[in-house]
Amino acid sequence: MALPLVQELIFGLVLGSFVALGAVGFTLVYGLVDMINFAHGEFITIGAFAGLVAVSTGGFGLPVALVVSFLVTAVVGWGIAQLIYEPLNDAGPIPLLLTSIGAGLALRNGMRLVAGPSARYLELPSPTTYRFDELGFFFTDQQMIVVGVALAAVVALHLFLSRTMLGISMRATADNEDLALVTGIDTKRVRHVVWLISSGLAGVAGVLLAVSRSANPSTGFDQLLLILTAAILGGAGSPYGAVVGAYLLGIGISLAITFLPTAVSDFGTTMAFVVLIAVLLVRPGGIVNQEVRSS
Amino acid sequence: MTECPDAEDALDSRREFLKAAGVSAVLTTSLAGCVGTEGGGGGGDTATTAADTGGETEATDDTETEATGSTETEDTGGDTTTATEESPDKVVVGQPASLTGKWDFLQPAVTQSTDLAVSEINDAGGPLGAKFEISRRDTAVKPQQARQVVQQLLNNDNAVAINGLFSSEIVPLWDFLKQQTTPIVTPWPGTRFLDTRGGDKGTPEKMNDDGWVWRTVIGDTVHTAGAAQAMYENDFQNVGILNGTSAGERGWADSFQQAFENLGGTVTKRVEVSEGQSSYQSSLNVLFQADFDAWALAAGLEDATTIIRDWSAGGYGKQLLLEDGLMDPDLIEAVGEEAEGAWIAAGSTQGPNYDAFKPKFSEAGDADIHTWGVAAYDATNVIALAIHRAGSTDPAAIEQHIGAVTREGGTTVSTFPEGKDALDAGDDINYEGAVTQVDFTQFGNVWGDVAVSTVSPDGFDEEFSIGADTLKQSIENY
Repeated sequence: MALPLVQELIFGLVLGSFVALGAVGFTLVYGLVDMINFAHGEFITIGAFAGLVAVSTGGFGLPVALVVSFLVTAVVGWGIAQLIYEPLNDAGPIPLLLTSIGAGLALRNGMRLVAGPSARYLELPSPTTYRFDELGFFFTDQQMIVVGVALAAVVALHLFLSRTMLGISMRATADNEDLALVTGIDTKRVRHVVWLISSGLAGVAGVLLAVSRSANPSTGFDQLLLILTAAILGGAGSPYGAVVGAYLLGIGISLAITFLPTAVSDFGTTMAFVVLIAVLLVRPGGIVNQEVRSS
Repeated sequence: MTECPDAEDALDSRREFLKAAGVSAVLTTSLAGCVGTEGGGGGGDTATTAADTGGETEATDDTETEATGSTETEDTGGDTTTATEESPDKVVVGQPASLTGKWDFLQPAVTQSTDLAVSEINDAGGPLGAKFEISRRDTAVKPQQARQVVQQLLNNDNAVAINGLFSSEIVPLWDFLKQQTTPIVTPWPGTRFLDTRGGDKGTPEKMNDDGWVWRTVIGDTVHTAGAAQAMYENDFQNVGILNGTSAGERGWADSFQQAFENLGGTVTKRVEVSEGQSSYQSSLNVLFQADFDAWALAAGLEDATTIIRDWSAGGYGKQLLLEDGLMDPDLIEAVGEEAEGAWIAAGSTQGPNYDAFKPKFSEAGDADIHTWGVAAYDATNVIALAIHRAGSTDPAAIEQHIGAVTREGGTTVSTFPEGKDALDAGDDINYEGAVTQVDFTQFGNVWGDVAVSTVSPDGFDEEFSIGADTLKQSIENY
């Protein structure tokens, strides 16, 4: 007997996992640095290319590629933040936002000049499919890796935020940076860590996108609206909310594609945004219903 | 002007965040369109000029590459007897190009064969004894960028004709393009939109009914008719279709569906997918819930690669038919194994003068050959011959002579030098191309054979072809 909706839920979880990895980093920066980083998509792209180089040039497998991408993107993202964003920190959120748009454009076109516009594919073994025909669903090892990596990253982040002094400092800073500073928290150090984690997670998302699709200069940019939506849906500034928002978005898109008439099945993504708008009208604070800190 | 003391507080509110993010998203998207983000080149702000390159100067993205190594061939004395008092120093033809964007992988062959033709044209003294130049600008196959590029080519570069433009650009820009009253001879578009709109309607002397667009590649109507016939005659009576939403992909799917249903087949289910998704499993799952014998896929290369991977991983099976635009070595490299056995029906690259063209093309560079690349050679030669026959660089005069140098009757020629010699000798000519006969119909279309190939990990293996004469019987207006 086929189980209803299981297949759609699996597809939604996979889609949500890509988005979750990007959205967590995006929302961490928003919550702690008080900045909407529109170059976050390019951090994902950097991760995709780092993974590509690790696999194609280095001959490494996917686990090493994930680690390499995390490290490379963390360092590059942190470097970009120190070089471009931190000097503008006192200018306020809007100049920072506009700067990030410019940085994104420069990075995207810079990568296009260096790597060329064409898509590059990771040469990895073909995925193995596990079929459960009687139950009416299947999944592949590649899909499980995507979901597993995303969940592992979320758990690791949760443990970091709740069990380490640095993580607790981050949460304190997110709540009230001035108060955190008064209580002796090195908020500058916290910001460094935020950029490293945020960028590193984007890099991991990039590798998984490259595995599933390809690496090209707009790999991350193409996902930016989904990431932004997941972050808002979950409650901007809340990493937990972003994760929930990402999975709700992924499942929502998957279900919309399934249940919409086939003539308008390409509206699946659009329908997800319609749901988002509806949710925000009813619950402007997103899923966690939590206003973001004052800077 | 007063400062807004509440700005920071306001930003903290959810609604302000949304507003800022939304505005930023729009701004980012707008900038992406204008500045060229998806590998987008700067809206055609830079041009690449090719003349006498012999194929050695390959256009690079956004790079001003003035052709070098030219052997000046302007005004070759008595050889150009057709040249009139209007003989200019040079003639510029504009080439809107897919240097970036999702179809950029097709441009190198088009560039190489265009430059090859330019080299031959200039070696023969050029049309009207003038140096023949191509001004190449990037449209990224985006309509708005293409519109800007066409304006730049005509107004800044003084192009007298256009050699390029995709279906996705021509359809939304149709009225604008007609208003330019400049002939467009393009190797790209397959759209059914052009089936009855282009050409001179068979009345070259009467210009007010002209469509101004001529294509040297066979239209979707022809090769999708071939694809439909190949499927139907091989006992695939019911098919599913998965297609992207761009004009080209949707047009291919429409055309294939119509041809297949006209033959008596049934399209059981059709699913459209938006582009750029990280996974297409949901859409495949919806499509394969229907019952059919085979399915057709029309999508850009990167999306098609993802779809084929998902299809293979999902073990959906069934015979796969790919749209002709996917006939590219990059598809083999990416998913040659997963797509093994898939069919692809495309206009045959091998027209009456293909054998003469092929070695010259190979010598000119290392681009992978494909239908549109060969058709670009024909388009370039047709324009140059029309200019020479017109005895003028006036776009209207060129338009009036395109039919005259290509339609049946007169001395058969296959290159510009041959055609120029015949014209100078006072003969009428009939240009026969490398990819088709290039006998333009009244609507500016060409006929050609359709080749059906199968995908293997090593490439595309041609299985059989369906002749143009067979296809003509099932197509009325073209």
